[in-house]
Amino acid sequence: MGVILEVKNLTKKFGGLTAVNDFSFEIQRGEFIGLIGPNGAGKTTVFNLISGFEKPNAGSIRFDGMDITGLKPFQIVNLGLVRTFQLVRSFHYMSVLDNVSVACLSPRGKKAAEKVGIDQYASRILSEVGLIDKARFPPVILPHGDLRRLEIGKAAGTNPQILLLDEPFSGLSYEEQEHIHALIRRLSNEGVTIFITGHVLRELMNLVPRVIAMHQGKVITDGPPQEVANHKLVLEAYLGRGGVFA
Amino acid sequence: MPKKIRRKLSDAVSGSKNFFLGIPRATRNLYKEIPHQVKSFKEWIFTFRGSLTILCIIGTILIPLITMDDYITTILISFLIFSIFAASWDLLAGFTGQTSFGHSVFFGVGAYVAAAFVKMAGLPWFFSMIIGAVVAVLVGLIVGIPCLRLKGPYLALGTMAFSLILFNLFMSGELKDILGSTEGISGLPAMSEDLIITFLYILIIMIISFVILIIIIKSNIGTIFKAIRDDESAADASGINTTKYKLIAFMISGFFAGIAGSLFSLNSRAVNPSVFLALYSFYAIVMVALGGLATISGSVLGAFVYWVILNELFKPLGMWGTVFLFFPTLISAIILVIMIRFAEQGILKPALEHLREFYDFLLGR
Ligand SMILES: Nc1ncnc2c1ncn2[C@@H]1O[C@H](COP(=O)(O)OP(=O)(O)OP(=O)(O)O)[C@@H](O)[C@H]1O
Ligand SMILES: [Mg+2]
Repeated sequence: MGVILEVKNLTKKFGGLTAVNDFSFEIQRGEFIGLIGPNGAGKTTVFNLISGFEKPNAGSIRFDGMDITGLKPFQIVNLGLVRTFQLVRSFHYMSVLDNVSVACLSPRGKKAAEKVGIDQYASRILSEVGLIDKARFPPVILPHGDLRRLEIGKAAGTNPQILLLDEPFSGLSYEEQEHIHALIRRLSNEGVTIFITGHVLRELMNLVPRVIAMHQGKVITDGPPQEVANHKLVLEAYLGRGGVFA
Repeated sequence: MPKKIRRKLSDAVSGSKNFFLGIPRATRNLYKEIPHQVKSFKEWIFTFRGSLTILCIIGTILIPLITMDDYITTILISFLIFSIFAASWDLLAGFTGQTSFGHSVFFGVGAYVAAAFVKMAGLPWFFSMIIGAVVAVLVGLIVGIPCLRLKGPYLALGTMAFSLILFNLFMSGELKDILGSTEGISGLPAMSEDLIITFLYILIIMIISFVILIIIIKSNIGTIFKAIRDDESAADASGINTTKYKLIAFMISGFFAGIAGSLFSLNSRAVNPSVFLALYSFYAIVMVALGGLATISGSVLGAFVYWVILNELFKPLGMWGTVFLFFPTLISAIILVIMIRFAEQGILKPALEHLREFYDFLLGR
C-alpha cells in the first residue's frame, strides 16, 4: 500500500492558455481511478506531463517515492509508469506481435520477459488482449476496436506498475467497450494501478470507485462517481453539453 | 572506508567480472548453437530464397572465371562494393527511418582513411579497410549526434551539409600534408596481383557484410529500429531509448558504408575528394529505391541493375558530348522519379514473386 503517484501544483501553459492549472492529487498503490472532464479540460495534457511527453511550467510529480519531473518518457516507462494514447499509435509496418515485442524489449519489459523469452511473453500478452489470432497481421488492417486493445497490449508489455489509459473507449461500439472493460478489470485485479480518462462519466461509472473531475485545467471535485455526478460544479461544467452522462 | 562506498565498489567490480565472464559464456552459447545454425542453413539452401541466393553467388563467381575478362570483372567488383554501400543506407533509412542524404561522408571517410593507411603507413589492405570502417563509425557518431533532433527533410539536409563540408575541406587542400590535395591519394598497391583474386576477396567481404546486416535486422535490435522508423514517440512510450538506438543505427550504417568506401579506394588504387560528392549518396538511394526499401537483399538487385545493366546500357551515350558527363546523375534522377511514381516497393518483391511461380512450376507444384 501507500502512495504510488503524487502530483503537486502541476501547471502547464500553451502561450496564453493555461491547459493545466495548479493541479494536485494522489493515487494509492493498486487503486482504480478515473479522470473526467469535458473536451479541452486538460486530461490529455495531465497525462502528457506525468509521462514526460511535456515539461510542466511548475509543479512536481513523484512516482513510487522518486521525483520523476523532467525525466524522459522512456525513463519513466522503465520505472513502471506507462501511458496509452487517445489517438492510437501503432507501428504500422510491423506485425501485431512485433508491436508488443518492442515494449518487451525495453529494459523493464526484458526483465519481466526473461524467463519465457520475448516472443513467448509477447504472445501471452496478445492472448490476454484477445489478438493472438491476428499476431501476424500488420496493424493497419485491424478495426479500431482491435487497435485499442493492441494499444493496451503494448503498454502491458513494459510490465507497468501503473497504467495511464487515455480514453480507451472513445469511438468504440458497446460490445467493444465491454471487451476493454473486462481487459482493464483483469489488469486491475492483477494489481496494476489504473488511471483512466473519459470525457463522459457514463463510461467510467460502473468501472471505477473513485473519480477526479476537472474543468479548464483545474480539479473540481474528487470522490465516488455517484457524488461526482451530482456535484454542482460538475453539472455546471457539462451544462449545455447534454449532461454528465451524455 | 565507509561501508556504503565499499559495497558500491564491490558491486562495480562484480559487475565488470560478470561482464567479462559473460563474454566466454556468450561465445560458448554461440558455439553450442552452431550445429543448429548449420542445420537451419542446410534447410534454408533448399528453400526458394536460399537456392536462388546460392545460384546468384555461383553465377557471380563463374562469370569472371569463365570470361577471364578484366573489364567485366571490374564492373562486377564495383557492383559488389556498391551493393554493400546501398545496404548500409537501407539499414539507416529503410529500417530506422533516418533518411540520410549525406551517406557519401561515411563512404568518403572510409575511402580516404584506408588509402592513407596503405600508402603512408604501409599497412596491409585488410587492416586498412577495418581502420577505415572504424573511423567511419566514429564519423557516424559525429554526424548522428547533431542530427538526432532532426526529422524528415531537415535530417536529409543536415546530413547532406556534412558531405558538403567534407568535400570542400578536402578540395581546399588544407589537408594536403596527410591526405593529399585536390588530386587526393594515388598509386596504392593493388589488393592482389590477380584481379580475380581481388574480386573473390571483395565477394567474400560482401557476403559476410550481408549476412551480418541480415542477422542484425532479424534480431531484437532490428525490431527496435523498425519501431523507431514507424513512430518514434510510440517507441519512446514503449520504454525504448530512441536516442541510443538511432546512434547505434548511424554507427552500424557508418561501418558498412566505410567498408564499401575502403574497398572502393583500395580497388581503384586511388581516391580523390569527389568521393564526398552528393552523387555517391544518391547512388545508394537510387539502388535501394530500385531494389526495394527496407529489404537489405534488395540492395544487391538494385546495385546490379543500376551498376551493371543500366550503366552499361547507357555507356555509349557518354561519347556524345559533355552533356553526358552528367549522365550518372541524370539516370539516377530519372530512375528515382520512375520508381517513386510507379514502383514504390522496388523491383525485388515483384521479381521474386514471378520467379517463385516459375520455380513452383518447375517443381511441378
Ligand atoms: N501542444 C499544444 N499546443 C497548444 N495548445 C494545446 C496543446 N495541447 C493541448 N492544448 C490545449 O490545451 C487544452 C487542453 O487540451 P487536452 O487535450 O489536454 O484536453 P482533453 O481534456 O484531453 O480534451 P479531449 O476530451 O478533447 O481529449 C485545450 O484547449 C487544447 O487546445
Ligand atoms: Mg484528451
